[in-house]
Formats: sequence, C-alpha cells, structure tokens
Amino acid sequence: MGMDIGKFLKSPEYEIKLTTCRDIFQAETLENDRFGDEYKKHSAAVVMGKDDSKKFGLKSGDRVRLTNSYGTVVVEVRESKREEPGGLAFMVNSPWSNALVSDDTGEKGIPDFKSINARISLTKDDITTIESLIGR
Amino acid sequence: MTTCTGCSLLCEDIEVILENGRIKETMNACRRGAARFRGCKNWLTPSVNRKQTDIDTAIKKAADILKNAKSPMLFGWSNSTCEAQVKGIQLAKKLNAAIDDTSSFCQGLLIERALQKKFRTCSLEEVRNKADVLVYWGSDAQDSQPRHLSRFSVFPRGESRQRGYEEDRLAIAIDVRESNTAKICKGHFYRIPLKGDREFILALMDALSGKVPKYDAKRILELAGLLKKAEFGVIFAGIGLTYSIKDDIDILVSLADMLPNFHIMPMVGHYNMRGFNEALFKETGFVNRVKFGVKPVHDNKYAIVEALKAKSIDALLVVGSDPISSLPRSVTSHLASIPVICIDPCVTLTSTIAEVTIPAAASGIESGGSAVRMDGKVIEISKVVENTYLSDVEIMNRLMEGL
Repeated sequence: MGMDIGKFLKSPEYEIKLTTCRDIFQAETLENDRFGDEYKKHSAAVVMGKDDSKKFGLKSGDRVRLTNSYGTVVVEVRESKREEPGGLAFMVNSPWSNALVSDDTGEKGIPDFKSINARISLTKDDITTIESLIGR
Repeated sequence: MTTCTGCSLLCEDIEVILENGRIKETMNACRRGAARFRGCKNWLTPSVNRKQTDIDTAIKKAADILKNAKSPMLFGWSNSTCEAQVKGIQLAKKLNAAIDDTSSFCQGLLIERALQKKFRTCSLEEVRNKADVLVYWGSDAQDSQPRHLSRFSVFPRGESRQRGYEEDRLAIAIDVRESNTAKICKGHFYRIPLKGDREFILALMDALSGKVPKYDAKRILELAGLLKKAEFGVIFAGIGLTYSIKDDIDILVSLADMLPNFHIMPMVGHYNMRGFNEALFKETGFVNRVKFGVKPVHDNKYAIVEALKAKSIDALLVVGSDPISSLPRSVTSHLASIPVICIDPCVTLTSTIAEVTIPAAASGIESGGSAVRMDGKVIEISKVVENTYLSDVEIMNRLMEGL
C-alpha cells in the first residue's frame, strides 16, 4: 500500500488583505437564527477575484484557513462574479471576520474592522463553528 | 400600517397580516425587515447562572449585580426605544456607571458632528423632493438600508425631481469595491484603494479649488465638476468612509465647507442608534463614552472596546446588542471574567455567556414607543402582536426599582 505523501505536505500559505462588507442575505439570516446553518453559510466565506484565486491556487467551494496573530478561522472560498482589481478579498462582517480583527485601536475605541492582514492556505478542515468562536 | 425596526430607515408603510395572533406575512418590507417581523428562532428565557428562572428573580439578580459593582458599564441601546434609552441613562446616573452604545465603534464620530451642527444635513423627505446629486460614499445602502434608494434617493419622483433617476438625479458611488449600490451608479463609480478616502478627499478639494489633483486627475476633475453643478447634493456617509478617516474625521467637514449646496447624512445601521446619541447628547453634550459621577465625564477609556481591553469594568449590562458577535474576539476575553447581564428578545452569542438573561419584547413588534430615524426625525413605533413580555422600558423601570 502506497503512502499518501500529500497529507504530510503543508499547503502553501499566502499573504492576503481582507476587508469586510455587509450583505442583505446574511442580515436576513442574522435576524432569524444566528446559530443556524444559513447564517454560517453567508458569513463563513471569503470572496475574491478570479486573478487572486488563481494566484492562490484556489477555486470556489474550497475551504481555506485564514490566520493571523489574533485568530484563525476556516471558511469557504467564493469567486467574485464581478471584476475585481485584485489584492483585496472580502468577508461579510460577522464573528468569523471578527476573529481576525486586531485589538490595536490606538486607544481610540474603533477597531480596524475593514483592514485585516492574514495568511491564507488551502485546508480540508471543517468550517469553523460559531460555538467555537464564542469559545468560553 | 406599522413601522419596521429592521434598520434606521424606520419604514412606516409596512402591512402586517396576522393569523391567530401571530404574524403570518408582511407587505412592503425588505428582506431584512420581513425577517425581523418573522422573529428569531430561539427566544431568550430568564436565567441566572445559566439556570432557567422566573423573570422577577432574573431582574432582582441583575439589580444586585449592578448595585454591588464598583465600575459597571451599561452598553448596547441601538435596538432600544427612545423611552428605554432615557431610562437607561437615568440608571447609569444613579449607579455612577459608564454608558456607551454601538455608535462608539460605528458612526458616533459623524453623528456627534451632525448634532454639533458642524456640517449641513437634511431630512430624507428633502432628499426625495429636492436632491439631484446623491453620493454614496463607503456606503452600500442596498445591503444595509435596503429601501434607501427606492423610498428616498435615486428612484422616487420628487416635488422638484419629476423625472427621477432617468434625467433629474445623478447617483455616484465612492467605494473600495463595486457594491450592489455602486452597481446602480453606473458610469459614476469611483473605486478607491483601502483607506484611500483621505487622499481622495484631498484630491477632490484640490480639484474644487481649481488645482490639478495629485492623482487620477481626469476623473477627480470630472467628479468635482459634477458636484459643483448640484442644486441640492447629499453625501451619504457610510461606515466605510467613517472607519477610513476616523483619525481625521474633520476633513469631511472641510470638504462640506467647499460644497455649499451639499448636505451630509451619516448612514446609520441599527434602528435607534441615533436616538441614543441624541438622548445622551441632550443630557451630557456627548453622544457616547460617558461615565457619570459628580459630573458626566467623556473619555475614550469609557468606549466599550477600550474598557474591555483595559479590563476596567467589573460588570456589564448589555441591552439589545451582541458584543461577542460584533466586536473583535481579540478584545472580548474580559467578558468571561465579569458578570454580564443580557437583555434581548433573542438568544445571542453574548446571552450564552451571560450570568443573567432577561427576555424583552421585540420593539416594533411586541412593544411600542418611539425611535429616531437616521436623519433625526422622530418616528412612532407600535405593538402589533399581543404578548406577555416586558418591554425594554419596563425592564429598565424594574431595574431602577431594584436598586
């Protein structure tokens, strides 16, 4: 029986810049059930332009680990249906994006919700659950 | 007709169809509004130390926690009626507590300047009747305030704008991404780099004063020309803009000074955030981040984010908000080590870690009152479903009595 070498190889990691946005479909699910699968589906995702997904070797439906010194989440990749200039990926504002937001506020009380630096890599791990983001 | 509390547009044209005392259907609401009327799946129940109890015991325990705390904070308020907000401010005064709301990490900086009359603003009715140049800046209203364009800005006919968007109105979007709102502003979408708003404003100010802007000169000069021609212009300032220029927010005031026919409207999310800001401003001269004592003191250290980071509060009352969901995880760890009291109609991430939970009637559905729309207009909200839940103002009264 051959050994699956692939499972010992770490997927390549790339630097990524993320910003957050709003989405009416996610807001709808938030109103109804923030612990539900629909809210998770609309929140636990990163949207990027085709050029960026190609650069990172990713396609829609892949799961990726986003990680930085503040936290780590596993979310799904979605390719943007619009023309994107590249270099910037999008997450709907949610506990998944908030896991990556810096605590450095310059003592001014407003975190950098819309400017997140992270590393991205392909993973087979499950999407991060909301329960683990409460983490108490 | 009833009023929707899904966002700060407070749409007053919602028809609710009831069946056996429950909401069967709504007409005219957007997806978010309709979802709010449908209600949440998991209703909050009264509890102490995560064990179910009766509402009286939960309220008594909450009052005890607040009474015994040395430095409590009362937080949330943007999903509460004006009446509950006023009571909440009185409660903070009685406790010598700190009080803050979600505007602290949202649109507080802009609303403060609107209340200080640092720039011209206007009503949404004036927008509908008069506005000819509409600038959505860092604002995706289509997703955040979904009926903004159809009720007030781009699409309706107005007294002075009979031909609407086809001839009489021009919609412009300035954003880091082509949002659903930017898609509607075809041909007038200005994409800017992340955190590029300040530089864009400076370039625009150069163009408005007849200088050649430092970058993208052709398009910026074109935009300056469009803005100059406006008879009644409005900049709808979204959270994208506010976050980007938060360290130099007055640069937007400087831009407004160069555009005499323009008004600025802070695009508020939650249905009554502005109500809280106005109530606290009236009481203290500040819109958020206040601690009561001999006199009210305003300081960034009373911002929820800074108070949690510095671990400077020893109890937190959360009203109609979910800080575990809406704040960075890197700042919320302190919540695990202090008593948290959660008042909400629904189970939230925060309610799952709270020492005390108190269910409240959902305002605009199970209880009435008033709220302040994003432009400052006071709107009545009403109860549409009979129920036995206490309203947020009744809970505030009961807490006050418990002290």
